[in-house]
Amino acid sequence: MRISYQWLAEYVDGLPPPEELARRLTAVGLEVEGLERRGAELAGVVAARIVASEKHPNAEKLSITRVERGEGEPLQIVCGAKNYQVGDVVPLAPVGTVLPGGTKIEQAKLRGVESFGMLCSARELGLDADASGLLLLPRDLAPGTPIAKALQLDDVVLEVNVTPNRPDALSHLGIAREVAALLGREVKPPAPRLAEGGGAASDAVRVRIEAPEKCPRYAARVIEGVKIGPAPGWLARRLEACGVRSISNVVDATNFALLELGHPLHAFDLDRVAGREIVVRTARPGEKLTTLDGKERALDPDDLLIADRDRGSALAGVMGGGESEIGPGTTRVLLESAWFAPQGIRRTSRRHGLKTEASHRFERGADPGMVLPALDRCAALIAELAGGTVRSGVVDARSADAAPVEVGLRWVRPGELLGMPVARQDARHILTSLGFKVRVEDDQGAIFAVPSWRQDVTLEEDLVEELVRSLGYDAIPETLPRLALATPALPDEAKGVERIRLALEADGFSEAVSFSFIAPADQQAFDPSGQPVGLANPISAELAVMRTGLLPSLLRALERNLRQRVEDVRIYELARAYRRGPGPGDEPADEWWEVAGVLMGRRSPVGWSVPAAPVDLYDAKTAVEGILSALAIDDVTYAARAEPWSHPRASAAVLGEREAVLGTVGELHPRIAAAFGLPRGVFAFRLDLTALLAHAELVPRYRGVPRFPAVLRDLAVVVADGVEAAEVVEAVEAEPLVEGATLFDLYTGAPIPPGKKNLALALRYRAADRTLTDAEVDEAHARIVARLREDPAIRAELRG
Amino acid sequence: MADLLAQLESLAEAARRDVAAASDERALEELRVRFLGKKGELSAALRGMGQLAPEERPRVGEVANRVRDEVEALLAGGRRRLADAKLESELSGPPLDATLPGRRLVSRGHRHPITQAADEIAAIFARLGYEVASGPEIELDDYNFEALNIPKDHPARDMQDTFYVDIATLGGAAAPGTVVLRTHTSPVQIRSMLRAGKPPIRIICPGRVYRSDYDQTHSPMFHQVEGLCVDRGITFADLKGTLAAFARAFFGPGTKTRFRPSYFPFVEPGAEVDVSCSLCGGTGRKDGKRCGTCKETGWLEVLGAGMVHPKVLHNGGMPAEVTGFAFGFGVERMAMLRYGVDDLRLFFENDLRFLEQF
Repeated sequence: MRISYQWLAEYVDGLPPPEELARRLTAVGLEVEGLERRGAELAGVVAARIVASEKHPNAEKLSITRVERGEGEPLQIVCGAKNYQVGDVVPLAPVGTVLPGGTKIEQAKLRGVESFGMLCSARELGLDADASGLLLLPRDLAPGTPIAKALQLDDVVLEVNVTPNRPDALSHLGIAREVAALLGREVKPPAPRLAEGGGAASDAVRVRIEAPEKCPRYAARVIEGVKIGPAPGWLARRLEACGVRSISNVVDATNFALLELGHPLHAFDLDRVAGREIVVRTARPGEKLTTLDGKERALDPDDLLIADRDRGSALAGVMGGGESEIGPGTTRVLLESAWFAPQGIRRTSRRHGLKTEASHRFERGADPGMVLPALDRCAALIAELAGGTVRSGVVDARSADAAPVEVGLRWVRPGELLGMPVARQDARHILTSLGFKVRVEDDQGAIFAVPSWRQDVTLEEDLVEELVRSLGYDAIPETLPRLALATPALPDEAKGVERIRLALEADGFSEAVSFSFIAPADQQAFDPSGQPVGLANPISAELAVMRTGLLPSLLRALERNLRQRVEDVRIYELARAYRRGPGPGDEPADEWWEVAGVLMGRRSPVGWSVPAAPVDLYDAKTAVEGILSALAIDDVTYAARAEPWSHPRASAAVLGEREAVLGTVGELHPRIAAAFGLPRGVFAFRLDLTALLAHAELVPRYRGVPRFPAVLRDLAVVVADGVEAAEVVEAVEAEPLVEGATLFDLYTGAPIPPGKKNLALALRYRAADRTLTDAEVDEAHARIVARLREDPAIRAELRG
Repeated sequence: MADLLAQLESLAEAARRDVAAASDERALEELRVRFLGKKGELSAALRGMGQLAPEERPRVGEVANRVRDEVEALLAGGRRRLADAKLESELSGPPLDATLPGRRLVSRGHRHPITQAADEIAAIFARLGYEVASGPEIELDDYNFEALNIPKDHPARDMQDTFYVDIATLGGAAAPGTVVLRTHTSPVQIRSMLRAGKPPIRIICPGRVYRSDYDQTHSPMFHQVEGLCVDRGITFADLKGTLAAFARAFFGPGTKTRFRPSYFPFVEPGAEVDVSCSLCGGTGRKDGKRCGTCKETGWLEVLGAGMVHPKVLHNGGMPAEVTGFAFGFGVERMAMLRYGVDDLRLFFENDLRFLEQF
């Protein structure tokens, strides 16, 4: 809401300067977001008295004037206007001034005569369209007075951010009430002088309310003999300061009353109201209305209409219709001041995408006590600005008035809620200064009648808020809650997540955070059989479905990095994924946590003693193993298995106990890589966080330290390419005396025959209860060799 | 006997001379063999003992032992001297190139600044006794709005542009418009109260939230941290103390807080909370110039807070006599202030050149 400082000053005496006012309004919850100084564009233009004028010797249409400007010698100005006399006071733009249109005034020679500035018309000053001659100012104006001040354009506009609960503050009077309360002064509401004449209004129009629950009150006046014309400059400037365009005297009068009192009004051309009858009713099935913005709107039976005998004339409380619009030929005005129920207005406004000054106020709750004062104020203004006579009386259709709201306050309650007691007399004083009235009062508390404009106040807590708004939050002490001590244990989930993050950071992965919604095509490519949750109103088609996994987002991030020539990338994300529910309890969708990572580029940073090599599948696996190790998850197996996004030959399922799937690690499928604009050589993993945490052993279990020495033996075997390393290791570790076996070399090529590979294993033999003898180890080693030879799945040959 | 003794003495004399002259380990070893070896000079000398009279033998034996001990000591001393000299020459040699970088096989990864900020916020509240809570991001309108005193057809809904879920993709029987992406973490207030069933409740909830607003200063997804404290006798003064303690812990010990009345439908009374500008120290000016971070005001708006609205407490199943406070931060805002990031969009672009700065 834009509030004019000058305008506001009409309702409260002794306003503090604008900056101070802004600070104090902000302190009571009416946040001033900005101050706009009006008239700044006229800086430099001053009032000047014309003291001499003679014809230009070389130009028929020009004159040479001399003007006084309150300082220095009179200036010589060449001027083309004719509408002045010597002695007139006019605007002068001296050399160096920049006019609102951007024209910079420079010293010039016009047809051989020097001119030291320019005398201006209203149009040149951007005030209105009048370019017929110089703008004549009052003759008693002192030369040198800045023009902005002379024309009262040096206004300051306060941009007040009014929260949705405070419709009462959406007007100058409303802000004035708050200012008066905080200054301890009286507010001076406008007192319209309304002269009624002619016949009774009720003879000219009838009003019938068919939907009293949506419109409890509809009041109207009739003004006859008006002449539509432009609004005077002062009114147009007021509206303009508040961001409202001037249209005509009658329409501007309604807007003025709206900005002054906060109550929306509507003016109809009474001669276009069929049957001289106003019917407030809901729309009929299939009914249409063309609103003032020129759009034909199909109405909903929930929409409230202001109709005449034949058809709708306005979308009640939202926007008028074209049919009954005030036009240049209008002579009889029907002025509406009504109160519409907020929810209905809001539904209509949203349904039709129509937000107007009127709907903004009605949907928040207009002041029912303002229906008649606003009507009178506006009618008087129309009569003043457009001539005409206000017919006597008000046509006032209303259902039973709502009883005024009363709210009780226990004197102890502010202390209980704020932690700072508020004395009874202070509470009473603050509330009454804001317009609350004491109905009943005793030592325990009081019941207050809420002023009609404060529809937001319905509870004791609301009264407490009024008190604290006035006292200021600064007055409240700082304490800490007196609660039983609690030392909430860090949940396992948080501990596990922290370990995963540390493991990934150690393996070089930086964390990405990406939007939870992605493009349907990306989603489809990754999880063709998934059931993603879609958005009804996405921001764009690229952000339309909730992802069922994190990898598509990570690949997009990878691609963006590549475009920036960042080519060695390891990123992970730890976030939720979503799919068609239902979820646990009453949660509407299934949400779970996933950790996923992608990597490409060099394995190690370029260095003087680090070998240069690109990452491969086993780097991705390193990251997975790092996570598993951080969570102390043992007994994990890997089974060659692909997902739609992974390379069929370079992909493995990560399996926990009882083959539970923990996730997948693999190379990105070449077709997916191409679809994302990525080169080959991208690797990825995804792990289900819940499954990981279910397998995690966050508290280590001590297993004892070996008391007898180990015996180390190496073993090299040649097996077919298709034999998996894990099968060989498993067969070796099946020997009870083997404590563990580590693969330390893998070799193919001569002299190993094609289709075969050499695996070298370091075996650790140990018994828990004795030092093994060489003979025992020899025997065990022989058993292992025999098993590797004979196992049909291995068929190993022993080397060397 | 005198011969034998003289022979031993001359042996010792030779050892003293030769060991001192030895220049490497091998020379010392040769000397050891020559003097003390099985076929060495000492053994040879002692073989002559058999010809001595028995009463002379102890005397000669004594001298022989002394000579052996001395030679052994000489050899040990010689080895120490050589080792010292060798170490000395190593220590005094030319230095290695200390400017060669260390050998890092994998670069260190970096944690996202939003995670760092959210974790820090949660950790501070954990020290104040708050437990971490969570709730769904795809949420019922009931929890996101209705239960929080934001009824349908209420203008307060305009404060948050809402993403609605396409009901057809949910599979359930939900009616259109009843499922949203949560617009704030506040529904977790209701879920936490219902879950706990009774006071006291102290929870903190970091998480993703969504609003359909996308421009330079708005992201359709961002992060909040919600806090809720409910018990008998909780006051606004407690809220002030709690947030002041938090601000000092997060922004630094000298940080001041300021509460301004404001409106959030789920609290009453409600406030916006400012902290003194962490960049200019609340002066509004930095290095003689206007502080751009606080726009010269000296204050930064960082969160909304208030006493939990009675309707919200009721909807959470709390008994009538309890009170509580709630607050909510924008994590991005906190991270921007903490790290001096000036563009919100950087947080979601996942540019490594950005991420690696944290």
